[in-house]
Amino acid sequence: MVPAQWYLMLSAAIFCIGLFGILTRRNALLFLMSVELMLNAANVNFIAFSLQWGNVTGQTFALFTMALAAAEVAIGIGIILVLYRNFRDTDVTKATTMRW
Amino acid sequence: MLLQTQLPQWTALGPALILAITALVLFVIDSVDPDSTDSALLAGVSVVGTLAALGVAAWFLAAGTGQVGTGGEITLFRDALVVDGMSLFFTAIFTSVAAMVFVASYDYLKDRPDQAEFYSLVLLATTGMALLASSNSLATAFISLELTSLPSYALVAYLKRNRGSVEAGLKYFLIGALSSSVFVFGISLVYAVTGSLLFSDVASALGDLDQSFRGVAGIGVLMIAGGFAFKTASVPFHFWAPEAYEGAPAPVSAFLSSASKAAGFAVAFRVFVEAFPIATAVDLGIDWVLAFGILAVVTMTLGNFAAATQENVKRMLAYSSIGHAGYVLIGLAALSAGAATNGDVLGASMAHLLVYGFMNTGAFLFVALVEHWGVGRTFEDYNGLAERAPMACAAMTVFMFSLAGLPPFGGFFSKYFLFASAIGAGFWWLAAFGALNSALSLFYYSRVVKAMWIEESDGSFELTSRPIGLYAAIMVAAVGTLVLLPGFGPVIETAQTVAAALFG
Repeated sequence: MVPAQWYLMLSAAIFCIGLFGILTRRNALLFLMSVELMLNAANVNFIAFSLQWGNVTGQTFALFTMALAAAEVAIGIGIILVLYRNFRDTDVTKATTMRW
Repeated sequence: MLLQTQLPQWTALGPALILAITALVLFVIDSVDPDSTDSALLAGVSVVGTLAALGVAAWFLAAGTGQVGTGGEITLFRDALVVDGMSLFFTAIFTSVAAMVFVASYDYLKDRPDQAEFYSLVLLATTGMALLASSNSLATAFISLELTSLPSYALVAYLKRNRGSVEAGLKYFLIGALSSSVFVFGISLVYAVTGSLLFSDVASALGDLDQSFRGVAGIGVLMIAGGFAFKTASVPFHFWAPEAYEGAPAPVSAFLSSASKAAGFAVAFRVFVEAFPIATAVDLGIDWVLAFGILAVVTMTLGNFAAATQENVKRMLAYSSIGHAGYVLIGLAALSAGAATNGDVLGASMAHLLVYGFMNTGAFLFVALVEHWGVGRTFEDYNGLAERAPMACAAMTVFMFSLAGLPPFGGFFSKYFLFASAIGAGFWWLAAFGALNSALSLFYYSRVVKAMWIEESDGSFELTSRPIGLYAAIMVAAVGTLVLLPGFGPVIETAQTVAAALFG
């Protein structure tokens, strides 16, 4: 069996790639993709440690996470659509009627 | 009195079930008549549903359901959910806020074509909050957190042709999505080291954790704390709050800043007290009590200083809500392992959240009323408002002084008990920072009062209508804020009893 720390390194790497994407990309859709990466990094952990611990709690949770990620994307795309209709752009830095 | 123990066990989830069913009933009404703009029907059903849920929660709380006297907490679905005094107390907060928001929305949303969606989304979010307060496993905590968050994103962006609302919705969604992925990664790390998601199992597994895993466990706990910081609008995930509250329709701002914040605290209290017990956590070098102490001071200071520099009343209220998150964080920051004062501190925080639920909702609903009239949003625009609408302005004065913590209002006792309990637990520095910040907050709260009552208006606006729903909701909130002064005894007693049970 692959030692547990390799899974942790893999998931941490995926998480950091997602975080990097969030910090550097300005397009709202790319932002959503980066969030998906971060959620799936957690799924890697859940499934790997489900195997390590010999219970299915982690696998079940991974299913929940996937379903919720889908729901989150549905809401997100909806908001990005109205964003595009109002601002003619999906750049997250363009929407600045209020100051940060 | 009929006791809940005489009913089947699942009825303990009654409040959450009633809320969910009401939301579904609204969907049915909407599918039967999709073009209906019948505000009275939709708002009426929502109010009846939330009041029923509030009634059941209050009845259970009075009958002692899930408390030590009647056989202790009721666990359901293999311990994934738990109903105890604390979850019922918080459910009462969420449902009271939601009921006031519904009454106010009757006028605010009048003649809009998509009202049913609004009411059902708020109800679904309230259901999520009720479940959040009952969750006993990191899995249910995460799912009900999302059930609370997802409708909230849509609600903030509800005015889809209004640029401010859409922008606020986008920012709320982006930060929310980021923080929920951080939260779920934290859960995955805690699962990695403990092999379980149930709070009690996590606590016992952490108790005999190999020291070499404590780094992973520590990062996991920190990330989970980050998820809660987002939900409660505390530092370091607070910066969405001013944008979201300013841009959102004012009833939604009221709902988010009162109920959603309380929900975040409800689950944070349970997770940290039950899953990461202080003694175990300190042994592992994960001193979350100290971390929350620092966050509490930073949050209240930042919130109050930023609020003092605002020109826009709604934005000022948003920052003041961050400041109040800082006060409530004292509930987690003034704990110490095995201390008898723990229940008092946590209970005082819960009581403050209840009072805050009335006064803050009322303040945002007053802003909703002013938006409904089409008066501007800055302090100057409020000049002389009291001449035109003395009743509403008197209520707003009550909210402002209560938020500042002045004596004749509910906010005075809740803050007093909070700071006194912190001193009693030996954390005088938290109380000192809290008192200093309260003094500062009086400055910007009284600016609103001064604008309304003392300044002369420039006579540029006409108040054309007297919206019944908004007025009724504001009056209920004002009466609630006032009644909670003489009625604070039973509230604090209940809160501290149910909080002490958490440490038992």
